Amino acid sequence: MFESLHQSAFIQDVIIFAKPALFNLYFALASIPAGFPFAVLLALGKASPNKWLALLSRGYIYAFRGSPLFIQFFMCYSIMLAMNQSLWKPWGIDHIVLHPLFLGPFVLVLNTSAYAAELFYGALKTVPKGEVEAAQAYGMSRWNVFRSVTWPHMLRLAWPAYSNEMVFLFHATTLVYFTLPVINEQKDLMNKATDLFERDYNVFLHFGVAALYFLLISILIFWVAGLIQKHLNSHITGDKVRLSFKPRYLR
Amino acid sequence: MYKLVLSAVLAVSLLVSSAMASESIRLCTEGAYPPYNYVDDNGKLAGFEVDLGNALCKKAGLTCEWVANEWDSIIPNLIAGNYDGILAGMSITDERRKTITFSDEYYPVAPSLYAAAAGNTIDLSALKGKKIGVQGATTQAAFAEKKYGADNTIVSFQSFDQSVADLMAGNIDLLLADGDPLIPVVEGSKGALVYVGDGESIGGGVAIGLRQKDIALADKLNAALTELKNDGTVDALIKKYFDKGPFYTN
Amino acid sequence: MLEFLIAQIGQWLGEDIGASLAYISNGKHLAWYASVRYTLIAAVGGATCAVLFGLLGAALKQSSFLPFKWLGDFYTTIVRGVPDVLFILFFPLAFEKGVEYILAYVKCGAENVAATTGWPPCDAAQWYLSTGDYLVMACVSLGIVYGAFAANVIHGAMMAVSRGQLEAASAYGFTPRQVFWRFKVRQMWAYALPGLSNVWMLLLKATSLLSLLQIADIVQWAGRLGAANYFPRVGLVHPDWRWKYYLVLFLFFILMTMISERFFEALQRRASRGMAITGSN
Repeated sequence: MFESLHQSAFIQDVIIFAKPALFNLYFALASIPAGFPFAVLLALGKASPNKWLALLSRGYIYAFRGSPLFIQFFMCYSIMLAMNQSLWKPWGIDHIVLHPLFLGPFVLVLNTSAYAAELFYGALKTVPKGEVEAAQAYGMSRWNVFRSVTWPHMLRLAWPAYSNEMVFLFHATTLVYFTLPVINEQKDLMNKATDLFERDYNVFLHFGVAALYFLLISILIFWVAGLIQKHLNSHITGDKVRLSFKPRYLR
Repeated sequence: MYKLVLSAVLAVSLLVSSAMASESIRLCTEGAYPPYNYVDDNGKLAGFEVDLGNALCKKAGLTCEWVANEWDSIIPNLIAGNYDGILAGMSITDERRKTITFSDEYYPVAPSLYAAAAGNTIDLSALKGKKIGVQGATTQAAFAEKKYGADNTIVSFQSFDQSVADLMAGNIDLLLADGDPLIPVVEGSKGALVYVGDGESIGGGVAIGLRQKDIALADKLNAALTELKNDGTVDALIKKYFDKGPFYTN
Repeated sequence: MLEFLIAQIGQWLGEDIGASLAYISNGKHLAWYASVRYTLIAAVGGATCAVLFGLLGAALKQSSFLPFKWLGDFYTTIVRGVPDVLFILFFPLAFEKGVEYILAYVKCGAENVAATTGWPPCDAAQWYLSTGDYLVMACVSLGIVYGAFAANVIHGAMMAVSRGQLEAASAYGFTPRQVFWRFKVRQMWAYALPGLSNVWMLLLKATSLLSLLQIADIVQWAGRLGAANYFPRVGLVHPDWRWKYYLVLFLFFILMTMISERFFEALQRRASRGMAITGSN
């Protein structure tokens, strides 16, 4: 009797949390398409022979890796708010810019691109000089050298660490609604877990189910990243990708 | 595991020692809701409720200690036992009565007011497609959700400060908030903000929030509160902080 | 004394700067600066716990007794798969409930506990959590979360100590215990430090979450001080200044990162004295 009651409460929670989980997933998925190219640009900037460009990229990466995302959220929101009357309103984009569904991914992009840029920069440093020189000797343009030598090498090398970064990014989405206002019923997993907790004080059930969602989606991200890695390495080995959880403990 | 047991034992001994020095209670306020409660220039909690709470404790012969807690978790943390009473501009509502109990009111029902940016024409009778700001988990939030939620966007903020900041910056069209903290904001905005409509009567008076089983404490505080209302102490504090009535004596 | 000094400096610099100086040194602001102690205590306490949990976790992961090894792997996997915020909110709540449950049994008896439905089961079992208690719990939660990270780093570092060194040591007649402490652990630090430095940086940044546990830390004070004030009784009337205060915190944490980097560089030099790995000399 008690057992079945408990089970149904568990299943009820699993159903309730499905929609909030989509918000966390949305924040992560919306940040990756912008964060990835920005990170590549930052990494190239840091490795650039142009002194000022290198300094700027280095400073940006250092600042955003060296400070907490929680404060970056507060800071960006208050700055964006301060610029509302003079910029966003006249341009007519204030409804978009200050919306958590835009601002959340925006700040996450600023943050994750700094971490990812550091990974890509590390990979860039290992591109064999000989390969680049050989390509140049063939008369390839700078763009072609980048596209056919530097880029694939960098991506293949940085990919395992980048998939790890995507999981960190997904976990970081919990901070969005701790710092930005909540619009109507748009709540994420942590919002929902604290809401439900405040109703019946069952900390183990509600936080447990939220944790389960995070764990499962993290595994899913590693699996998808593993498929892409297999594709990147297809010319080297044909290793099989299983649904696995092989995180790194560094960021 | 050993560490856990050790800390549990430690916690038990702490509890025993704290239980011996009873007759002392912990009161909680938010510290960001002037003139009810705020942090003064010395970094100390101050305001109408802090003065009132201290007067109450003196009258009831209790030793009181103040704790600050963010608004959104103020009721859960009362129930979890981090403090014994909430004096944080909290109105009596039936919804809150489900989880906690209230003392007698110490500040009469005051209307909640709407504020908007000057020049932003708003017709309260036909509100549609507007962004309405409220502080999350307040009586105003529940009210706005019910009355305007279907046709408008309700934006809930973590604190009153944040909701005012967003109104000033034009991120929301309309703010619905408790009148007393809102009045100094509108008046101090030098014409940037205006009231919209006459306001709403939401909820009951402001009272001390207590755990439902702490009936003895509620009786004790109510007795002290009645005395303070009759001897004019409460009125003097209302005059000091709100500069206007309504008062409990004439 | 302080006020006099500020008045003097203010006169020397001019009225405007004097007024700002007086403002940023009033009691409210001093309370803000003083609240840095919570951040530092949580960081140092959390790091200490993290190293302890890390050593424990690494020992479990290396254990030849399979259930222990599984326990170690389970610990590190669960923590890594779940956001740190969730743990930091969950652990104090769960711990409080656990303690109150034990207390209820001790003080009120099992029958009473079984009879009640509310929480806590009896009044005597109520645990009043103060800022100090929360701070201790924050340290333990940070320790649990980043201990899992440290466990992995330490585990990897122990594996990196060359087997030859250890075999040579036992050939010289050192006991297994001496081999473990004087060779494996001693050399392990040099391999683990870069990783542990990274864990420390993560932990340092996670201390910004203290305000979620109702600790009046630098983040909470920054929000309060920066919030617009329209009420003369409360203090200086000013518009929304929060972004300035958050910018200060942003720079504060970058500075802390810089200091930590220098510290770990020095530590690395010390730990790798006499070792044939990069980063020595």
